[in-house]
Amino acid sequence: MSLTFIRSAAGAALLAVMAAGCGTAVTAEHAGAKPPAAAQPHHPAAAHAPVTMPASPPGTTAPATTAPAPATAPAPVTTAPASPANPIPQGNGGDHDPDNNGGPSDGDGNL
Amino acid sequence: MTAHPWLRGRPALAVLASVAAVAVAAATFTLSGGSPGRAFPALVPAAAPAGWPHLTLPNGTAVLSYPPSLRPTAGDSDAVSAAQVSPRGAFQLYLNATPRQGDEQLRGWAAFRLRLLTADDAASARELAAAQGVTFRGGTGSCVIDTYVTRIGAHHYQEIACLVQGRASASVIVAAAPAATWAQASPLLLRAVAAYQVR
Repeated sequence: MSLTFIRSAAGAALLAVMAAGCGTAVTAEHAGAKPPAAAQPHHPAAAHAPVTMPASPPGTTAPATTAPAPATAPAPVTTAPASPANPIPQGNGGDHDPDNNGGPSDGDGNL
Repeated sequence: MTAHPWLRGRPALAVLASVAAVAVAAATFTLSGGSPGRAFPALVPAAAPAGWPHLTLPNGTAVLSYPPSLRPTAGDSDAVSAAQVSPRGAFQLYLNATPRQGDEQLRGWAAFRLRLLTADDAASARELAAAQGVTFRGGTGSCVIDTYVTRIGAHHYQEIACLVQGRASASVIVAAAPAATWAQASPLLLRAVAAYQVR
């Protein structure tokens, strides 16, 4: 057996070992890259927590108002406030306006 | 036959262009002050026709002109009103002018008006159309057209209500009619609103 042949065989063996190592590394890398995808199904419950939005009574939601300045979409206008700020008694109450007796509403500021 | 790559990309470009056009249209609509569903009618400021009587606010800051078929009616001491009332006492046409009293602002006027209606005398109220930057004689205003049902009697009215800012003061003009007759009443009411003069 010549020295040249021995060197060649040793070189081939070294290359084979390196190739096997690289294959293992690649396999490990793929295995490491998968978990995020595999873990995705575990996240939705936390990532998509229920969105709580105030419910509007049917028929009381008006179209979006028309403020020109904001660039963001204006929120829907709800026409049923939680509580009157300064209600004028109805039934000929308060200022005795027609609108306190079933007539059309005037333009006062609810004062 | 193989299509040129640029030609193959054209459908995608068309889709992108369509999406962009829709987005631009939606943004334009939002910023222009339009309300979905109904367009706000054109209000061209003009002097009232000859023969229309006038009512001046007690503080002198605005003049309400009204058709001769209406008569002045009682209301707040600082306001003026005119109405056409049926023999049975039902309001057929109603006009009112009141100085700004509370937190009314040109911006957000429509929402303010609807809140006020339901807080005061309406069981429900719904916006139909709104506009800002409306030109009046002597000022600029924000307007809303809405419909509401009164708590007393469950009367169904439709109205146009405008907050008008003059040089040194602001006031509100309201023109209303039963919702069932709004189509017939609105031309006359809008004429009165267009003739409203502020100082």
